[in-house]
This record gives sequence, C-alpha cells and structure tokens, in this order.
Amino acid sequence: MAQEPMWLTFIVAFIIMNVLLVGMAYTTWYERKVLAAMQDRLGPTRSGPHGLLQPLADAVKLLGKEDLIPAGADRVLFFFAPLVVFVAALVSVAVIPFGGTVQIGGRAVNLYATDLNVGALFVLAIGSAGVYGIIVGAWASANRYSLLGGLRAAAQVISYELVLGLSLVGIFIITGSLSLREIMEQQQRSIEIGPLHISNWFILSQPLAFVLFLIAAVAETNRAPFDLPEAETELVSGFHTEYSAFRFSFYFLGEYINMLVVSLFASTLFLGGPSGPGSEKYWGLGLVWLFIKVAVFMFFYIWLRATLPRFRFDQLMGVAWKVLLPLALLNIVITAFIRLIANGQIF
Amino acid sequence: MPWDLIFFYIIGAISVLAALGMVASPNPIHSGILLVVCFLNVAGIFVMLGAEFLAIVQVIVYTGAILVLLLFVLMLVDPHELPSFYLAQPLQRGVGVLLGLILLLEIGAAIVTQTQFGPKGNATPANIAAMGGNVQALGSVLQTNYLLAFEVVSLVLITGIIGAIVLAVPERLGQRIGTLRSTISLGHPRGLDHPAALMAGPRNETPIVTKERKAPEPAAVRRLVMAKDPDDFTSV
Amino acid sequence: MGHLGVEHYLFLSAILFIIGLMGVLVRRNLLIIFMCVELMMTAVNISLVAFGTATDTLNGQAFVVFTVAVAAAEAAVGLGIILALSRRGKTVDVDDMHSLRD
Repeated sequence: MAQEPMWLTFIVAFIIMNVLLVGMAYTTWYERKVLAAMQDRLGPTRSGPHGLLQPLADAVKLLGKEDLIPAGADRVLFFFAPLVVFVAALVSVAVIPFGGTVQIGGRAVNLYATDLNVGALFVLAIGSAGVYGIIVGAWASANRYSLLGGLRAAAQVISYELVLGLSLVGIFIITGSLSLREIMEQQQRSIEIGPLHISNWFILSQPLAFVLFLIAAVAETNRAPFDLPEAETELVSGFHTEYSAFRFSFYFLGEYINMLVVSLFASTLFLGGPSGPGSEKYWGLGLVWLFIKVAVFMFFYIWLRATLPRFRFDQLMGVAWKVLLPLALLNIVITAFIRLIANGQIF
Repeated sequence: MPWDLIFFYIIGAISVLAALGMVASPNPIHSGILLVVCFLNVAGIFVMLGAEFLAIVQVIVYTGAILVLLLFVLMLVDPHELPSFYLAQPLQRGVGVLLGLILLLEIGAAIVTQTQFGPKGNATPANIAAMGGNVQALGSVLQTNYLLAFEVVSLVLITGIIGAIVLAVPERLGQRIGTLRSTISLGHPRGLDHPAALMAGPRNETPIVTKERKAPEPAAVRRLVMAKDPDDFTSV
Repeated sequence: MGHLGVEHYLFLSAILFIIGLMGVLVRRNLLIIFMCVELMMTAVNISLVAFGTATDTLNGQAFVVFTVAVAAAEAAVGLGIILALSRRGKTVDVDDMHSLRD
C-alpha cells in the first residue's frame, strides 16, 4: 500500500461519498424506470429528459413535507434512529477499493479511502450496527405496526447475517486475508485453461458461496422478497410508519445506499472488483467495469422486486436456518479440504 | 498534546459516560442502547491498542447479543411496572456505591504501585506487519500455542447453545411457547395508551381524546376475538 | 503505544469494571444486571489487551478471543435462565425471585 498524504485521502473519500450519494439518487430513477419497463409502463417522464430530474423533484418534495412526531414517541431516539441507518450505510463504503494505486498528475493516488486489515469483517460489523437504527426507530415511534416491523427486522438480520458471514469464509480461506484490497488484487490474476485466459474471479471457485451471499444480502438490505419489516400489505409500512419528511428520507437514503454498498461489496468479493478487459492498462476502464457490475446487481435487485411475492415469516426463518446455513457450512468444509489438498498437506 | 492522547480521552470519556447512563437510566431500552454506545467505544480502544480483529469481533458479537437483550426487554418488561423496581433499597444502594468506590481506589492504588510486566515478546508492530497484519498474527498464535484451548472453547460454545435450548423450551412439550403474559409491550412508560398522556395531549395542545377510553370487558373481548381456548390452536 | 502508557488503559478498564459492579449491586431489573455483567467482562478485556500490547505479545489478544467466546456462551445460557425464570415467576425483578428462600 502506497503511503499518501492525509489531504489526498480526504479528497478521495469526499469524491467517493458524493459519487455514492448521487448514485443513490439515480438508483431510485433506475429502479422506477426498470420497474416501469417490466410492467409495460413509461415511468417518470415529466421532469427533465427521460425523467432524469425526478430524483431532484423527489428530494424537494420530501424536504417540503411536514415533519411529524407522534405524541407518545421517545423524542431523542426518534431523532437519532434514522441517522444511525444512514451513517452506517455510508461508512462501510470506506473500505471498498475502486482500484489499486494509480498515477494522477505524477502523484500516487489510492483509489480507496482506507485499506483495513479486517475490511470484509468491517462491512459486516457496520451492517449489524445499522440494524439498531431500524429497531430503535421502530420502538421509539410508539406504534404497534412499527414495533412489529422492527422485531421482524431484528430476527431477520440476526439470522441472515450468519449466512452472509459464513458464505465469505471460503474466500478468506482461499486468499488468506480479510483485506478487501488484497482480495481484489488476487482476482486480477488470470488462470490459463488451454488458449484461454480467464480472470480468477471468485465466482468461479465459489459459486455456492456467491448464491448464498446474494440471497443473504437481499435479506440484509430488507428488499423484496425479504421486505417483511416494511410489508405494506400487513404492517402499513412497518418500521417507518410514523416517519415522514426529512427523517423518512434518511431511512430511504440508507436503504438505497445499503443496496449500492452490497452491490459494490459483491462485485469486489466475487466479480473481481474493477477487473475486466483493459483495466490493467487504464484505471478509468476499471471504474467503468465496476459501474457495469454494480448496475447488473442493482438490476437483479429490481428484477426480484418486480417478480417475486413476499416470503411468509416462518418460511423466511426456515430458509435461513435449515437450508442456507447448512449449505454455507458445507461450502466452508469443502473449500478447506480442497485448500489442504492443493497445499499438499493431506493425501 | 499528542493526538493519540486526545483520542483516548474522547473515546474513554464517551464510554464511561455511556456506561454510567446505562446503570442510571430507568428505561431498560435506553440502557441497552447506551451499552451499545459504550461497546462501540471500547472497540475504538481496541483499535488504539492495535487489536483490529478484536475490535471487529467486539462489534459483531456484542451488537448481536445486546440486540437480543433488547428484544428480551420488549418481551418481558411491563412498562407500567417499571418505576416500582427501578432501584434497590436505599441502604443497599448506598452500600453498593460505597463498596464500588472503595474497590476503585484499591485497584487504582494497585495500578499505580504494583504494575509489573512479564518478559517482552517479539510481537512488535513491525513483526506483526511482516506477518501480514493483526489477523494473520493472531490466527497463527491461536492455531499453534493455544490450539487445545481453541478446541475447548468451541466445546464450551456448543454446550452453551444446547443449555440455552434446554432452558428455553417449555417443560412439557405441547405447552404454549412464550410467557403467559404473551403480549409484546411497546415499553413506553407514558405511551399513547396511558390515560394521562391522552388527557394532556401532545405538547399541552388541545387533548385528542377528552374522555377516558372505557376499558373493554375482558370476557366480552375473549368471546369476540377467540371463540375457543387459544391453547387449542397452538401446538408445539 | 506511542505516548500512552499502559496505565491509561488500566484505569479506563478499572472504571468501567466498577461501573458494572455498582450496576449489579444497585439495580433490581434482571436484564440490566445482565448488561452490567457484560460490561464487566468487556472492561477486563481492555486490560488483557493493554497488558498484551505493553509486553509485545499476542497472548492478551488470544485470551480475549476466548473470553469473548465464553461471554457469548454465558449470554446464551443467561438469557435462557432469564426466560425460564420469567416464565415461572412472571417477573424480571430480582427481589421477587426468592422461591429458594421460602
């Protein structure tokens, strides 16, 4: 890791954060357009060409709405809970690498805010801390629907976080590192099968882990078909029933930034991050590849939402504990076994 | 003033204040959240000590554990009973605080006068960086020097899980799961359901409800909502 | 460790431990007492890591891995006991739990 001056890190972090926020705004536009296309509609068209200014209009609308606090609410917690979700979603992007070290204007610049030795676990830990925003906000609004949504979120996240963590252990066994930069760099190498040079993406060596990770990640971000905490047909709108205006927008921002972070995380872990044809020579091309990968993941999210009905709660728990968890453990055992054989330590 | 000292005092002060708030708060939910704040700051202290892996473990393990504790608070604590058993008897309270302060003085004296260190090891920051980092170094120590203890700890965990299941399952199979109170309370001592809150209205505005809500007759509700005994519907 | 002596961390650990201890003595809610026990364990972990770093060994951190595992097992069993107790006595007030005395 190249050392760089502090101000350069701040600039990189600032750019990453702003790209994330703008990207989140256009994720909502993307979602509405894709959903509309799947349902044979047009989606937003009025504000700007192809409705491109729609996120701006939404933001103005949300800011202009009346900010309500229920009479029985716990005011301090009601105020802080959405911020917890928002900040937790934003912080975890700090460890995600957008590329290696590049030369810009004769200066070595790291295309990541920081490279933690425990980066992958950091994302998981921040994710688990983010649930507090949901359950505390749910409790603080003194509403039975909110509380039920919060309890569902707690049970769901505790169960699926196990699967999420265990599905990554195979990758940690292969790379021998928890640092996301290291994991990304190990996938830049290519394996030669005959005349073909295939990138060593971990989706090839860990396909089962990839599927498990994807399912658990959708559940972690409370998206359909795992959106039981905010099931609008049963719970009004779940944990954010009592939230309106600016406070609601923090939950909203948090959810979409979480989706983006999970997509970035999955691209880094399983799809080689910014690796792709030409990315070794031009780092800008790597960013484009990463953007395409994230867009594919986001499309997958929206596709799920447009097509699948919601799980029942007992099904949700049953899938996590009886199907996904044993499969994740099996994946770990097989990976460890193959690693030992490859190292020549057994047989 | 060096930066690490400033950071240490900020993090340490927040963790101590959060711990004090945890002990002093009458509302168990607030206690739980303050405990999480305290533990996040302890994770910061671990990072300052160069134990990044432990910091992350602290966050992952304890946020999950305290989340479950908060759920227990929601399940088991009736908010209307809370103030009646907030603190212990006055005498007990005084003696407890006094004993704690005396012990603090003793430990402080011991730290100042009696701190001794064993022989220096070779896990200097430079050596740890050469091994690849804190995770790799800690992993190799755990898998060599402490391998037996590592295995024993996994046995302890398995025993703990089985014990928890044995304790939590109702004594007779077929008995209803859950407490007999069987409702999840919101935990707000002065929520909307409280007659006083209804009378005063929010921020002393005009009351929403001027009359107290008439309590439903329990027998009637039971006949209306559940035609049969609820135990007939649930089986384990 | 830079400018920070190990004493700083030991004092912080002692203060947190004492706060937890006072909580156990002062409060009557079983769940709060449980939180205080967790706080005491964490306080001990700080001093273990501090001693380990002061002597340039990883033994302290290895111990903390074990204490965290034991704390997790303790949390599981403790919550099971609390659930069983509250199911039997319908309360989480420690002063009401005296069926062994009577």
